[in-house]
Amino acid sequence: MQEEKDFIEELLNPKTQNIAFQKLMREYQRPLYNHIRNIVLNHDDTDDVLQNTFIKVFQYLNGFKGDSKLFSWMYRIATNEAITFINNKAKRNGTTSEAMQTKIVENLKADVYFDGNDIQIKLQKSIALLPEKQQLVFKMKYFEELKYEEISEILGTSVGGLKASYHHAVKKIEEYMNTN
Amino acid sequence: MNNFKLDNEPKIKSGFQIPDNYFDTFSEKVMNQLPTEEPKIISLWDRNKRWVYSVAAILVLSLTIPLANQFQSTTTEIATTETNEIENYLAYHASLSDEEIIKLLDKEDIAEIEITNSLDEEALKQALYEDSNTEYYITN
Repeated sequence: MQEEKDFIEELLNPKTQNIAFQKLMREYQRPLYNHIRNIVLNHDDTDDVLQNTFIKVFQYLNGFKGDSKLFSWMYRIATNEAITFINNKAKRNGTTSEAMQTKIVENLKADVYFDGNDIQIKLQKSIALLPEKQQLVFKMKYFEELKYEEISEILGTSVGGLKASYHHAVKKIEEYMNTN
Repeated sequence: MNNFKLDNEPKIKSGFQIPDNYFDTFSEKVMNQLPTEEPKIISLWDRNKRWVYSVAAILVLSLTIPLANQFQSTTTEIATTETNEIENYLAYHASLSDEEIIKLLDKEDIAEIEITNSLDEEALKQALYEDSNTEYYITN
C-alpha cells in the first residue's frame, strides 16, 4: 500500500510524472485493453476507448483521493468510457445499445482480429442478450478472471450481489447454448 | 449440443486478437495527446504596459491643452471643411472595426451601399484575369 502511495506521488510530481505515467501504462495497457475489448468488441473502437481512458486517468490524477486502489479506479474509468462509447455508437445509429451489441457480434466473423470458432461466436451472442450488469460481471469473471473482491471494488457492488449476477448469467448462457 | 455446462467445458476463450506490435507504440501515442501545461509567457507588451499607458496619457494631455485654447477658432473651420475630407479622414485614420461600423448602419444606409457597390462587369473580369489563382479554381 505504501508502494502505491509513493507511486501516486511520482505520478503527481511534475518532475517524475512522465516516467511514472509511462510505467502506469505499461502495467495496465494489456489488462485494460482486454477489459474494454470485451465490452466494445472490435479492435479499432477498443484502441480509441483505451487512449481516452488513459488521457482521462491523466487528467483526473489530481483528483484521485486514494480511497480506492489505483487498479480499481482505472478499471472504473475504462468501464465507464467503454459503456458510454457503446451507448453513443448506438445513438448515432438510431438504435438501442442491446441491438447494437447483437449487430457487432454478428459482424465478428468478418473481423480480422477475431479468430473465434462457432462456439465462441455463439457464446458472444448469448452474452449480448444479457442485461448490462450481468454481461459485465460475466466478462470480468469468466474471460478476465478477476476475483469477486476486485470486481466488487470496480463496480461498487457487493460480492454477494456479484455472485448472484454471475450465476444468473451462466444459467441464461447455458440455456441459450442448449437451445440454439 | 445438449446439456451444455460452462464449467464442464474446457475454458472458452474470447477469441479476440490484438494486432502485432500494437503495444509497442501505444504509450507514445497517448503521451503525445496528453495536455501539457503551457509555460506562462509574459510578452514585452504586458511587461511595459504601464509605461506605454503613462507616456500616452502625457502625450494626449500635452496635445489637448493647447487645442482646447484654440477651440473657439477651430469650430468654425470644421464646419466649413468639405464632407469628403471628413469621410476620407474617417476611412483612413479612424480605428473602427467592421463590426462597429455595421452596428452604426441602418437599413437605408445598407440599401445605399448595395447600390453604390453594384459590380461593374468589366472590372470583375479584369480582377479575375489579374488574380493568379483563377486558373487553379477553374481547372480544379
